Amino acid sequence: MPQYSVSPVNVKKRLFYLFIAFFALSLVLILRLAWIQIVQAEELYDRAWEQWNRTVPAQSPRGSIYDRQQVLLAGSSTVETVVAIPPRIKNPRETAEALAEVLEMPGEQIKEVITMDRSAVYLKRKVDDETAKKIREMELKGVTFTPEGERFYPHSSLASQVMGFVGIDQGWGGLEIYYDNELQGSEGRMYFPSDARGEQIPHEIKRFAPPRQGMDLHLTIDQTIQHIMERELSRAYVEHEAKRVMGLAVDPQTGEILAASSKPDFEPGKYAEYSPRRWSLAPVTDSFEPGSTLKLVTLAAAIEQGIYHEEEGFYCPGHKEVSGINIGCWTGDGHGDINYLEAVQGSCNPAFITMGQKLGKEKLFSYLEGFGYGARTGIDYPGEGRGNLFAPENIGPVELATSSFGQGVSVTPLQQAMAVSAQANGGDLLKPYLVKEIRDEEGDLAEENQPEKIRQVISRETSQEVTDTMVSVVEEGSGINAAIEGYRVAGKTGTAQKVGPEGTYLPGEFILSFIGFAPADDPQVLIYVAVDGSTRGAQWGGQVSAPLFRRIMEDVLSYKEIYPDNTLSPQQIDMVEVPDLTGLSEEEAAERLFEKELKLKIVGDGDRIVKQVPSGGSEVPARTRVIAYSKDRELAPEETVVPDMSGFTIREASKVAGWVDLDLKVDGSGIATRQDLEPGEVVERGVRLEVEFQSLEE
Amino acid sequence: MMQEKKRDFDFLLLLVTLTLMGVGLIMVFSSSYVVAEEQLGDRFFYLRRQGFWALLGLGGMYFFSRFDYRHLRRLAPVLVLINFILLTMVFVPGLGLEVKDAQRWIGIGSITIQPSEFTKLSMVIFTAAFFSSRSIKIDRFWSSTFIPVLVMGLSFLFIVQQPDLGSALVIALGTATLIFVAGVPWQQLAAMSALAIPAVGYLAISESYRFKRLISFLDPWADPTGTGYHIIQSLYALGPGGLFGVGLGQSRQKFYYLPEPHNDFIFSIIGEELGFIGAVTVLLLFFVLLWRGLKIALTINEIFGSLLAAGITIMLGVQVLVNIGVVTGSLPVTGLNLPLVSFGGSSLFLTLCSIGILLNLSRHAGEQ
Repeated sequence: MPQYSVSPVNVKKRLFYLFIAFFALSLVLILRLAWIQIVQAEELYDRAWEQWNRTVPAQSPRGSIYDRQQVLLAGSSTVETVVAIPPRIKNPRETAEALAEVLEMPGEQIKEVITMDRSAVYLKRKVDDETAKKIREMELKGVTFTPEGERFYPHSSLASQVMGFVGIDQGWGGLEIYYDNELQGSEGRMYFPSDARGEQIPHEIKRFAPPRQGMDLHLTIDQTIQHIMERELSRAYVEHEAKRVMGLAVDPQTGEILAASSKPDFEPGKYAEYSPRRWSLAPVTDSFEPGSTLKLVTLAAAIEQGIYHEEEGFYCPGHKEVSGINIGCWTGDGHGDINYLEAVQGSCNPAFITMGQKLGKEKLFSYLEGFGYGARTGIDYPGEGRGNLFAPENIGPVELATSSFGQGVSVTPLQQAMAVSAQANGGDLLKPYLVKEIRDEEGDLAEENQPEKIRQVISRETSQEVTDTMVSVVEEGSGINAAIEGYRVAGKTGTAQKVGPEGTYLPGEFILSFIGFAPADDPQVLIYVAVDGSTRGAQWGGQVSAPLFRRIMEDVLSYKEIYPDNTLSPQQIDMVEVPDLTGLSEEEAAERLFEKELKLKIVGDGDRIVKQVPSGGSEVPARTRVIAYSKDRELAPEETVVPDMSGFTIREASKVAGWVDLDLKVDGSGIATRQDLEPGEVVERGVRLEVEFQSLEE
Repeated sequence: MMQEKKRDFDFLLLLVTLTLMGVGLIMVFSSSYVVAEEQLGDRFFYLRRQGFWALLGLGGMYFFSRFDYRHLRRLAPVLVLINFILLTMVFVPGLGLEVKDAQRWIGIGSITIQPSEFTKLSMVIFTAAFFSSRSIKIDRFWSSTFIPVLVMGLSFLFIVQQPDLGSALVIALGTATLIFVAGVPWQQLAAMSALAIPAVGYLAISESYRFKRLISFLDPWADPTGTGYHIIQSLYALGPGGLFGVGLGQSRQKFYYLPEPHNDFIFSIIGEELGFIGAVTVLLLFFVLLWRGLKIALTINEIFGSLLAAGITIMLGVQVLVNIGVVTGSLPVTGLNLPLVSFGGSSLFLTLCSIGILLNLSRHAGEQ
C-alpha cells in the first residue's frame, strides 16, 4: 500500500460529516415544504386565487316599469360597450388609430386609455349596433365588448315626468331615481380563470356572484287614463296658450295615483334635449295659491262644526271689510241676497270669510292641517312640494279671511287631491302612492304599497254633505261646465291670481283649476286639473278648467266601464238665448255669457265687440261657445290681422275668416289645429289662409 | 491495479436515476406545453428536446459505466483545458449565444451547449485527480489546496462574467466541499472561508439587482411584482398544491405566472400538481441518489475513485439542495436548475454521464 498524502480514513470521516449535512438539509427542506404546503396552503391558495381569477362585472338589466294593467312603460334593451384589455394590446398606436375614426374620439386619447395599467377599461359606453359591427370587423386584439342595459320608453313621452329618466348607470329623475336601488339591482361578478397576461384559460370557475337583476315596478298609473289626461292637457295647453297645464287623477278610496302629468313635458329617452323645467311632475313638486278649491276645507270644517246651514240667508255686497281692508268678491257687483248653499255654488268670497271668522283661526287652521296642507303627503316621488300655510303667530284677521277662501296660502295639487279625496271617501286622509308593487325577476312580490290611512279628518256625515254640496256646485253653480249627463259629478272651481317674484299678484295671470270626483255616490276617480298662465279666453275656472275636467272625466268613466245612471233625471240641456254682445268689452261680454252658461272666445284685440257668432237673440244649448270679434285698432284700410283659428270648427272658422276678410282654405275636417299664417300677423285683405282641421276622435 | 471479478453496479442508483429522469420528462412536458403551444406552436417542443438529450445522456451514461474511471485521472488536465476553451468560446461572437442578456451558451448548429455544466464535472475530476497525487502534502496550502482553488476561481470568474452567478456559486461550493472531503485541515478551511465569504459578499452587493434579489427572499411581499415575484409565484404554486396536489397537468402557475416553469422552477410545478406527497417523494429520490453516491465514495478505498464519487455526488447534492431551497423561498433566487428533472440538454447529458461514472465506480467498491 503506497502512503498517500491524503488519508482515506480522514476522507471517510469527512464523507460521514457530509452525509449528516445532506440528511439534515433534506430534513429542513421537507419541513419547509410541509410548512408551505400544509400549514400555509390555504392562505397561499386564497392569495393565489386573487391573481388567477379576473373578474368581469356582470351587468344586470335594469328593472322594467309597468302600469297597473301590465303595460310596459319603460324597459331595458341591451347595447354594447367597447372595452379594451390593455395587456393584450400589442400595438397601441395602430389600435388607437384604427379606433379613432369609428369611435369619433381623438387617437391620442384612445392611446392613453388603452395603455393604462389596468386589466380592462371602457373605451366607449353604449355604442350603436353599426359602430359595434365596424369594430368587430376590424378584429383588433384586446378590444372587446360587454353588454349593457339601455333604457327605452315604448310610449315616448307618456307619463315621462312620473317615470323620470336614466342617465349613465343610474336613475336621474322621477321614479327612476326614487326607486333606483330596486330598479338597478346589483352588479354581479363573473370570475374567470386567467393566465398572467389576463387571457382566459381552461380551468373551472370556482366562484360566481350572479348579478341580482333589477326589480320591476308596477305602478298605480293606468296607461289609458294617463293617455286620456295627457291628450286633454295637451289640447288645453295649445287652446289656451297656457304656460303650463297640469292634471292629476287619483283613486279617492285608496290614494293610488291613476294619472299625473304636466304639459309641456319631455321624452325620457332624449331628456337632455329638453329644459329641466319640463322634467318635474308639477302637480307633486310645485305649490301655488289654490284659490277657491280650498273653500272646500272651510266648508267641511263649517259643516263639521255645525256652523253651516245651507238655508241660512247671506247678503253679498261684492266685498267684505276685514280690519279696514276691503276684500272683494270675484263678481265685483256681489251675489246679493242669497242663502249659504247658493253662496257655495257661486263661490262667494264674503260668505266663506264669514264662515272662516265663525270658525276662528285655530279651528280653520287645524282643519287645513288635518286635511294635509302644509305638510308633505309622503308620496313615493322625489322632490315633493310642501306648500306653505301661515305660521300661527302671523295669522291675523286678514290672513284668516284670505285663507278661508284660498288666498295667501300655497298648496300642491297633490295635497288638494288628497284633501278632496278625504271629503269624497268618508273622511279619511290617505297617503298617495305611485308604485303598487315591486316584483323581482321571477315575478315574485318583493314589496307592496297598501292604501294607508293617515287620519280621519271629518265624519262620514260631513263628508256626505260636502259631497252633496259639491254636486250642486256642478249641477247648478260655478262648476256647471263640468257636468256629465247621467252621472252625479262633484266638483269645485278655483281661480287664483299668480304671485310674482316680489310677492305681489301678477295682473292678468291666473291659475284656473278644477277639482272633482265621480260618481258622487261611490267615488271612483278624482281628477284635478289646472291651467297656469292662460292669457286668452275666460279667466275663470268654470270656463276653462271645468270643461277640461269634464272631457277627461267623461272618457275615464267610460274607460272604467262606469255607465251613466239612466234613473238619474237626464240632464236638461237648457236652451238659452244668446245675448247681443255688440259694443261690450271682453270682460263685460264674458260676464254676460257666464250668466247664460255660455262660453266666450274672442278674436281680435279691439276695445269693443263688433260681431259675434251665434248672433244675438238666437236660441242655443247651454255651454255653447260664442265667438266674438273685437275689431283691431289702427289698421290701414287694405290691411287685416290673422286670427287664431285653433279649436274652431269649419263653420266657425269660415265665419271668422269672413269677418277679417281672408280667403279660407279648409284642409281636413274636425277642429282647427294648424294654420299657415301666424296669428296676429298683419296681412293684406283677401289673402289666402290655409287651415288644417283634425278630428279629435282617437 | 488488478482486474478482479466483475462486480455488479449499483442497481438502486440506476433505478433512482431513471425514475428521476422519467419524472423530469413528464414534468417538463406538463409544465411547458402551454407556453410551447402558444409561442412555438408545438406543445411537444421542450419534451422532444429533453427526450433527445435524455437518449444521448443514456448513451453517455452507458459509455461511462463501462469506461474505466481510472483513465479520467490522466485526462484531468486536458479536461481543465477544454473547460477554459469552452468558457472562452461563450464570449466569442458567432459562437456564443446571447439569451436574456446573458451569454451562457455556445451554439453549434441547432444544438446549444452550456459550458458551465461541463465546468462542474471537469472541476470534480481535476480536484479528485489533484488530491490523489502522491506528491501532494495536504497540510501545505500554496503547493496543494491552492491549485484547485485557483482553477476553480478562474472558472468562477468566467462564469460570473456570463453572468451566471448560480452556476458559479454551485461550482465554488461544490469544489470547496470536495476539498473539505479530501481532508484539508480545519485551519486552512477556516482561513479560506474567511477570505471567500467577503468575496462572495462583494460580488452579491456589487450589482444592485443581485443584492435586491439576494435579500428579497426574506420578504418577497415587499416587492411582489419585482424582486419578490419569482418567490411569490413559486409559493403560489406550492401552497395551492397542498398535500395531494391539484393533479398532473392541472397547474395554474404554468400559465405565464411562474417564469421558466419547465426549468429553474420545475420543482414548484411538481409541488403544485403532485402536492407535498409528490414533492417529498422527489426530494427523497434525490436523497437516495446522494446516499448511494456517498456510499460508493465510502466503499472505494482508492483516493481518486473515492474523491471522484464524492465530488460527483456533492455537485448533484449542492444543486438539488440549493434549487429546492430557492423554490421554497429558503434561499435567494440564484437561477439554478434541478439536475435530471429540469429542462436543459447540457445539464441532463452531463448529469447522466456523471452518474455513468458513479455506476462504473460502484463496480470497483471494496477493491484494494
